[in-house]
Amino acid sequence: MKKKVAVFFGGKSTEHDISIVTAISSVISPLELSQEYEVVPVYISKEGSWYSDEKLKDISLYRGPELKNFLEKSKKINILFDDGLTLIKSGIRKEKIHIDIAFPAMHGTYGEDGSLMGLLRMANVPIVGCDMPASVIAMDKVLAKQAVMAKGIATPKYISFSKTDFSESTLNNIKKELSLPLFVKPSHLGSSIGISKVTKFDDLKNSIEVALHYDDKVLVEEGVEDLIEVTLPIMGNQKPVPSLLERPLVKDNDFFDFEKKYINEGGSKNGAKKGAQGYSELPAKLEKNLYDKAVDTAIKSYKAIECQGIARVDLLIDGNTKEIYFNELNPLPGDLYSHNWRANGVSKVQLVERLINYAEESFLQKNAIENTFSTNYLKQF
Amino acid sequence: MKHIISRYRPLYISSLVYMLQNSEYVIGDYLAWLSRTSDFSQIMYRKKLIETRKARLLKFLLWLITLMLLLIAVVLAFNSLWLISIFILVLAPWIISYIIIIPLYVGYIFIQKPKESQMIISAKKIIAGHKGIKIAIVGSYGKTTAKEALRTVLSEGKKVAATPGNQNTLIGISRFAHKLKGDEDIIIFELGESHVGDIKKLSELTQPDLGIMTGINEAHLKTFKTLERTVATIFEIQTYLGEKPLYKNIDSILVRDNIDKNDQLGFSLKGIGGWKVQNAKTSFDGTEFTLQKNKDILSVKTGLLGLHNIGIMSAVAVIAKEIGLNNQQIHAGFTKINPVEHRLQPRQHHGAWIIDDTYNGNIEGVEVGLELLKTLPAKKRVYVTPGLVEQGEKSQQIHEKIGYLAANVADEIILMKNSTTNIIVGALEKSSYKGKITLVDDPLRFYKNIDQVIAKGDVVLMQNDWTDNYH
Repeated sequence: MKKKVAVFFGGKSTEHDISIVTAISSVISPLELSQEYEVVPVYISKEGSWYSDEKLKDISLYRGPELKNFLEKSKKINILFDDGLTLIKSGIRKEKIHIDIAFPAMHGTYGEDGSLMGLLRMANVPIVGCDMPASVIAMDKVLAKQAVMAKGIATPKYISFSKTDFSESTLNNIKKELSLPLFVKPSHLGSSIGISKVTKFDDLKNSIEVALHYDDKVLVEEGVEDLIEVTLPIMGNQKPVPSLLERPLVKDNDFFDFEKKYINEGGSKNGAKKGAQGYSELPAKLEKNLYDKAVDTAIKSYKAIECQGIARVDLLIDGNTKEIYFNELNPLPGDLYSHNWRANGVSKVQLVERLINYAEESFLQKNAIENTFSTNYLKQF
Repeated sequence: MKHIISRYRPLYISSLVYMLQNSEYVIGDYLAWLSRTSDFSQIMYRKKLIETRKARLLKFLLWLITLMLLLIAVVLAFNSLWLISIFILVLAPWIISYIIIIPLYVGYIFIQKPKESQMIISAKKIIAGHKGIKIAIVGSYGKTTAKEALRTVLSEGKKVAATPGNQNTLIGISRFAHKLKGDEDIIIFELGESHVGDIKKLSELTQPDLGIMTGINEAHLKTFKTLERTVATIFEIQTYLGEKPLYKNIDSILVRDNIDKNDQLGFSLKGIGGWKVQNAKTSFDGTEFTLQKNKDILSVKTGLLGLHNIGIMSAVAVIAKEIGLNNQQIHAGFTKINPVEHRLQPRQHHGAWIIDDTYNGNIEGVEVGLELLKTLPAKKRVYVTPGLVEQGEKSQQIHEKIGYLAANVADEIILMKNSTTNIIVGALEKSSYKGKITLVDDPLRFYKNIDQVIAKGDVVLMQNDWTDNYH
């Protein structure tokens, strides 16, 4: 009998739509093509309701108004945590679907930030990709920087603060401690949402206000001189396997915002390919020593944040000094960065199969650890 | 239950016409398909009915018969013959699927057949009066490749016409003959065979001055019943040609065993007559070699993949020389030959090479394809096949052979599930195959999503796609 894999996607997040594409094209379709698994789609609407139906595997359902009509007619599902994860579909005949493996494909809030993984941990089911702690750290850019810095990995100089702490003195402190150009980033959001580049201090306050509109914690960091931006997808548990170092090529506005990544055909003027992958150098043309050093830094960062399954590490290289800085870590790269893996000889089908193997391996290790402990503590009450 | 309901859908009638159309209105093939089919909702899954005049007429007739059956059922019900009425209503889909054969047969006998006979007679006259050199190509496999190669090379110095696509029957060739302009230097005919006597009839129609026999194998064994009958049919061209030249592929055992060992017109991977093949190599860009006879050297470079092409290419080169083309013209002609669509046709996709050989339908083609897969540089070799159709009693033996051959070449084997899958899997298991085996339920979905299965450095050989009537 085929193992049942529940793929979770959608969600109450700004990256809801991106999640649908990742789930359907890079997870569900290859899993089904592998013929090894029975795929159960679990779609979480923008309102937070959970649905599961075969029709949710079809991308065309999400293009127009059909989705709304479909959801109105569909029954929401419940979940049960007895002896693993079970989805319950209500109706005349109640249907129970026991899930063998959970495959989160939810970017951003409530998914990639570790919330979903926290819920799934309680169900005691193998989870594909980074677990809750790594996801929580990775999705907080400040925490991620602190985690890698503790392992001796360099990161650009930065100042972070919360919405309540933000004042004129914060601005003065930034002006005093950091040099232009600066990047202002919401600490938690992915897909470059709310990020802006500041080239004069007059624009700083406005940029911070934009970032605070999306998040209650903001990070302001120094830009890197003569910047070479590279990214490396990695997979594995204790022994991470790197793919190819990729260099996104952006000239217009000097950084890769949401529009360029996902809408404007990857920023490519000739429109060669859709998505971020359409406008990059793969593998990055760096001298061998620098390339190897960047791969090493990325793997160390992956380990420092204790990632599992898959992640993508973004690095910044100073073109003059060749200094390599950790920028951020994405615990659920859009499209699983499958274009990069494919260029490295790993097909989409192989990628999801390997990720499931890593999840099962990690699950076995975790289950070997005792989580309960008998005490006489309650007897005193 | 779902299968039974599929006969009561409005689309059922279109499905029946689609089956007739795809069986080329051959009643036997249609009935065989009908007997194999249980779920009619899947009939037009890959393609749709082409709304020709004939198709529209048949649809109209089917609806008419259906209405008449309904009317009869109603009349019977009014006369309290309830049981018979219900019986007719329930069996209506089965009745119409068979009753349609009657108008089809009548139409064939009284309209189509006389018209076709007339067309064949006039085509024979056209060909007889034509001054051009007539070349006939026969064989169980490789005819289209040989025809295209010959047409391309000879076109460098001559005005050439060749039968298009797979128009290789009496009617197909007759239609082609009616389109000839009359000023062609050379006419190339591809002769098809499925029954004893076919090549004799086609030879009499095309009246060739020269023939090429590309090879003989088990193709169409279902209709020929024995290999001896296949051989005899294909060799009917020799009887017709008599002393006229017949070039024969002696790499094909069934050809070699039936000719004189000293036949100077036998071609093979080693060459033809006094012409010797040297420096042969193949890659994703094509195949190249030199042909040498005494001091005469012919350099051949084609876009066709695989060393197996060398024999027929040598024959084409020598025929071109005999007809009067010089070495430069022959060389230039060969460089213009590209793979025929779906026959060892390479394309690059996301850094992987996909070799599309889905039109291949015989074990020799499987051997050639797998040999090519073995030769080409690859990180991972993937073999995709549903197996072969129409293999008759030899199906077990042939599919075991496919399994044994693939086990030695492919790192991953993807099989489209059907009646032959277990035989191939059995052979793979007997070979202690260590690679990955994937069994695919939905071939169309697989082919559409091939980009999800491949990665840079892979070489994927896709062979033997089955048409709708075999699923």
